[in-house]
Amino acid sequence: MFDIVFWILAAVTVGAALAVVFLRDVFRAALCLVFLFFTIAGIYITLHADFLAVVQVLIYVGAISILIIVAIMLTREVWRGSPSGRLRIPALVVGLLLLGMLMFTAMSTKWHISDVPPQEPTTTAIGAGLFGDGGFLLPVEIAAVLLLAAVLGAIVLIREK
Amino acid sequence: MIVSELHLMTPELSLLGFALVVILLDLFIKQKKVLAGVSIAGLIVSAGFTLAMWGAPTIDIFYAMLAVDRFALFFKFLLLAAAGLIILASQDYVSKFERFQGEYYALVLISAVGMMLLTAAADLISIYVALELSGISLYVLASFLKDQKSTEAGLKYLLLGAVASAVLLYGMALVFGLTGKTCLLCIADVVETMPIAGLLDNPALLLGIILLAAGFGFKIACVPFQMWVPDVYEGAPTPITAYLSVASKAAGFAVIVRVFFVALGAPSWLSIDWGILFAILSAITMTLGNVVAIVQTNIKRMLGYSSIAQAGYLMVGLATVGVAVGADALGRSGLLFFLMSYAVTNLGAFIAVIAISNKIDSDLIGDYTGMGKRAPLLAVALTLCLVSLIGLPPTAGLIAKIYIFNAAVHHGLLWLVIVAVINSCISAYYYLRVVKVMWLGAPVSEEKVPSSWALRASLSLCCLGVLLLGVIPGSFVGMAEAAVRIFGS
Amino acid sequence: MLADYGYIGLLLIVAILFTVSMPLLALSLSFLGIIPRKSNPDKTSTYECGMETIGKTWVQFNFRYYLYAIIFVALDVLTVFLYPWAVNLKELGLLGLISVAVFFAILVVGYIYAWRKGALEWK
Repeated sequence: MFDIVFWILAAVTVGAALAVVFLRDVFRAALCLVFLFFTIAGIYITLHADFLAVVQVLIYVGAISILIIVAIMLTREVWRGSPSGRLRIPALVVGLLLLGMLMFTAMSTKWHISDVPPQEPTTTAIGAGLFGDGGFLLPVEIAAVLLLAAVLGAIVLIREK
Repeated sequence: MIVSELHLMTPELSLLGFALVVILLDLFIKQKKVLAGVSIAGLIVSAGFTLAMWGAPTIDIFYAMLAVDRFALFFKFLLLAAAGLIILASQDYVSKFERFQGEYYALVLISAVGMMLLTAAADLISIYVALELSGISLYVLASFLKDQKSTEAGLKYLLLGAVASAVLLYGMALVFGLTGKTCLLCIADVVETMPIAGLLDNPALLLGIILLAAGFGFKIACVPFQMWVPDVYEGAPTPITAYLSVASKAAGFAVIVRVFFVALGAPSWLSIDWGILFAILSAITMTLGNVVAIVQTNIKRMLGYSSIAQAGYLMVGLATVGVAVGADALGRSGLLFFLMSYAVTNLGAFIAVIAISNKIDSDLIGDYTGMGKRAPLLAVALTLCLVSLIGLPPTAGLIAKIYIFNAAVHHGLLWLVIVAVINSCISAYYYLRVVKVMWLGAPVSEEKVPSSWALRASLSLCCLGVLLLGVIPGSFVGMAEAAVRIFGS
Repeated sequence: MLADYGYIGLLLIVAILFTVSMPLLALSLSFLGIIPRKSNPDKTSTYECGMETIGKTWVQFNFRYYLYAIIFVALDVLTVFLYPWAVNLKELGLLGLISVAVFFAILVVGYIYAWRKGALEWK
């Protein structure tokens, strides 16, 4: 059952990703990207990562998509669409090479697969991992500084000289 | 327990505290010069804490997220010194963005915090977050002038930086998937006991190493991840260009040495494999940097390509670290000493460029004509730094090159050293061209080139460093040798 | 736990079926000739709350919206860190509380800055 759901989601994700690349209309491409964020949240659920799915919806579908769409609305002459670049063919070749390399690596490596069943729900465990003993407390605090730098930088860059 | 470990983080914490104070003071203070003073004070306090910790035992803190070792302390001191010199040298420059001075100092401090954490980070997660912290602040600083070129520089830096960090994350994910660990020492344990005889047996590890090298390679601007350098260096505010070329590069080398040496240092075939990888990249990097630098007419672009070439020389040290894991620490100490001398030299060169270009309002080498008569002291300082970049006596550059090349020859990288020496000869051409223009060219006007005391102070500190490292290198070599101790080795 | 998502999936399937079937219904009714086809300009014009629509659909928005969007993103990320802390508030105890407080304090500096600099004002 989960396999079927996964493959449907995967197919839709790839389709949406291709639409993002190929659509000339920037706004439609952005909407496809939002849709892609959604299906990725679905894939996280099939991987038993419920917290990650929530974060995906909260941040990407909720906030990043707003950022992208607002950015498009700020743009002049959006209706002209995105012009196709001269590097389309080389980019395709490089992209396919990278894809082939990653697929070969993923297929031909003997990964250690844990036989412990996945935790459910994961949020409590992640909370303990982030803030608890032996966890990732320091990176969390650095992330706060990172956000501060981002807010500062954004305001500096947006305001007029 | 975590609270008792806080005192081992005082350099970062104090600097962060000062950065927050600068942000808040900026809201209430009209006289922005005070903020520069507060920033310098923060850097000095932080440097004081760093020095005080020099004798501290080598341990890891915050559940193996950060390592407290002399290697990290050395880099922290270097980064703090660079940030301090940059802030001093910015005093003539900040008038170009009158309205955002407070933010400028705050972002310089925050990026310094990020780089300091980066040099000490002992876990893939903390490495990534620290890298992003320094990266985000630098993207903003690069586009601080908000004119066309500066914006382009910031945008290019951001886009390529984002791709590089995605690549890095991919590499980290592969290494994590293979070993199930994120802390460097735990990864080392797993990798060491892997039942494989070569990298080709394990494509995930191979690809992981390549992607990690690519992601970090962007930070140190080695070929083929150097494309961003000329445009970003040209467009960014000159103090930030200097900051990028020295501090960001030093932090990049620190994290590469730590990740590769600690996590992927054993078994020996593995370290030799990545040592050779860096050796090849090193040869290409220095050759490309030097050859392209010859045709540059803009001094910032020229120094950009020159910094690519210098990264190539530094990677000789990296390659030596790889092939000499377990033998001796010559590669590491050579790298550290070279970074020290490169930092003072390159900062000096850029500060002189700030002083001159700010007055004549041009970055073209041709416009530097006759500078020897218009601003003799600045010209002498720039000449000294350029001579040191070539690696001629009596400067730091010569000792650094001898030291790092000697280590490489010692470990069988003779071919690489020959390439490097040929490159040094090529580089003499374009460095000396600037010297020639300055001293033999006719001045376009008799007008003197003034500079503030802050800028003169920072420039003379750099020149002093160049000479000290060149004339009495003994104690500095001792410092570099004392700093090779990396946690977990 | 995971089976619960099945209900969401069910809802999704119903939603997709509904949205697909409605236009199909309208199209098939008009194809069968049950709906008369009499077009006029008023019928085909854009409906905008009963007002006349003027100008292009794509107008350039004020860039100030972007400032809010960015500050909103930073707040959103803050929520993501607060959420796992909040679900096991008790187990994480004092250490958790302090670390969240530090996290919050650092971020609040950014907001004080934004507020005092007038970035939140609409001029």
